[in-house]
Amino acid sequence: MAIKYSEKVIEHFKNPHNIGELEQPSGAATEGSPACGDQLSVYLNIEEGTNVIKDIKFQSYGCASNIATASIITDMAKGKTIDQAKEITWKQAAEELGGLPPVKMHCSVLAVDALRSAIKDYEKNHLGKEFDESLSKVNVKKELHKIIYGKVGVDILTLKLVKYVGVDNDNNVIIDLEMDKDDKFLPDVKEEIEEHLSKFDKANEVKINVV
Amino acid sequence: MNKEQVYLDACKTTRLDPKVLEEMKPYFLEKYWFPGNFTDIGNEIADEISESQKKIAKTINAEPGEIIFTSGGTDGNNIALKGIMAANREKGKHFITSKVSHPSVLTVFKALEDEGYEGTYISADEEGYLDLEELRSSIRKDTTLVALTHINHTLGTVQKIDAISEILQNANHKINFFLDSCEAYTKIPIDVKKQKIDAISISGHKFNGPKGTGFLFVKDGTKVKKTQNGIARLHPLKPGVVNVPGIVGITKAADLIFEDFEGHVERLANLQKKLYDGIKQRIDDIRLNGPALGERSPAHLNISFMAVEGEAIMMMLNFDDIHIETGSACSAKELKADYIMMNTGRTFEESHGSVRFTLDKFVTEEQIDKTIDSLEKTIKELRRRSPLGKKKTN
Repeated sequence: MAIKYSEKVIEHFKNPHNIGELEQPSGAATEGSPACGDQLSVYLNIEEGTNVIKDIKFQSYGCASNIATASIITDMAKGKTIDQAKEITWKQAAEELGGLPPVKMHCSVLAVDALRSAIKDYEKNHLGKEFDESLSKVNVKKELHKIIYGKVGVDILTLKLVKYVGVDNDNNVIIDLEMDKDDKFLPDVKEEIEEHLSKFDKANEVKINVV
Repeated sequence: MNKEQVYLDACKTTRLDPKVLEEMKPYFLEKYWFPGNFTDIGNEIADEISESQKKIAKTINAEPGEIIFTSGGTDGNNIALKGIMAANREKGKHFITSKVSHPSVLTVFKALEDEGYEGTYISADEEGYLDLEELRSSIRKDTTLVALTHINHTLGTVQKIDAISEILQNANHKINFFLDSCEAYTKIPIDVKKQKIDAISISGHKFNGPKGTGFLFVKDGTKVKKTQNGIARLHPLKPGVVNVPGIVGITKAADLIFEDFEGHVERLANLQKKLYDGIKQRIDDIRLNGPALGERSPAHLNISFMAVEGEAIMMMLNFDDIHIETGSACSAKELKADYIMMNTGRTFEESHGSVRFTLDKFVTEEQIDKTIDSLEKTIKELRRRSPLGKKKTN
């Protein structure tokens, strides 16, 4: 069956909201990378004291759904406090757009990720918050939650495709994936895992076993 | 969809020439018979099919008896590749193809590997040309077939058939030489005798002929085992229904091009140049993928627009009723970057922003102008939206 976008996705792709940069953002982040094909930058102006998102802009190096999900999520976040904005999920963003094809659901995850990272950037620099970003099993799992199995449009942890996660003494990350070796989405899932875990500077090697 | 569509995806399929449809019509409504013996209606159709074989054979300098009508490129590839390997199984189980062959060749070989055959996949350089030294050194005593794609469907690269033939001729034993020429037929001259080719598969819908038609050239004396069974009304390798309107249609489509082949190719090359020059003049930071103009297929242009993504370009052009193809992973069902781009040393970004424009005889200069206008507008807008848009990538 053909992969098709909803009318709302098309509308947001044609005329995206909140495109651009902010001169002096109070928080900003870029998620994804040109090498994996999707890159999204989010810029925030946050009112100190109330922590309300007064202005938000984005730039996308990606496909139509990448642009549309960024457009909708910036609309959703605008005017909210950072705590409210952090609660926006990729499922909600996809629903707001009238749904996304399963193979495109990862765009919504990227949009949420970039928004949350920009808020975190603000929290670090303006609120003096500290975050545990160490290479731990918990943090690796947080990243795996962001990886979508394109065949059904749900993340690999929820789908229980990850059978084991571990970090050994040499800082190697070991992941056992329960997937068919001929699964056409396996290369994509592997690439996504590597790309997501590359943000842990300390990670030595990512070893993915297909079981 | 009443507006005029600018269809620059001829490598995928083309519009049927109305003249071809006219030629086919009587064979649906009046002369719907099969070829046959002893009756006037059966004889008439048999004669017309013989005439088609003659006409088609002439276009590639083959003999009429060497032309087998098929249902398309995939059908021909299956009949030839499986049939040649099976017929030569006693001599050897090894075939050679390339990493940049068309999927309709690669998938057949995958199936053959599952049955115990062994394959070597030779590499291509940055322009898509096959490594001929690697070809030479890959030949084994048990190699019975070399099967390649004549013009690369993604890059427009025309493989050096004469040089490849020479290598195979100089081998110590007979190696069958097969070409998937679906993209090459009607774009470059093919001479099966001079170029010493044993089998060729062609598809009708790539040159304004009917869908579901094709032909296979098999050189007289080439051993091909039957892989389909049924009543062999025309040829044992392709039993079953005889698609008479289709045979008439593909022949007419070829006729219409070969009555002025040089003129047709020149027209395509001029359109290709117009498109490339226009893009180069009006859009910066682009890369041509595949060989330079003049050395590549005259119907084929592949360009990477840096800092933007191909599916977004494809959709923006679609809003202007212009249709192209992209190598971007985003537009692929399984999110994989185009394997041809990846196997010819392109970066992911180059594949990501790559657009393929392929031409046929119905494309006009006005359509090329419209495409350049729409592209300029599209790339400007997408770069405005892109975090990479401001900086040059080269």
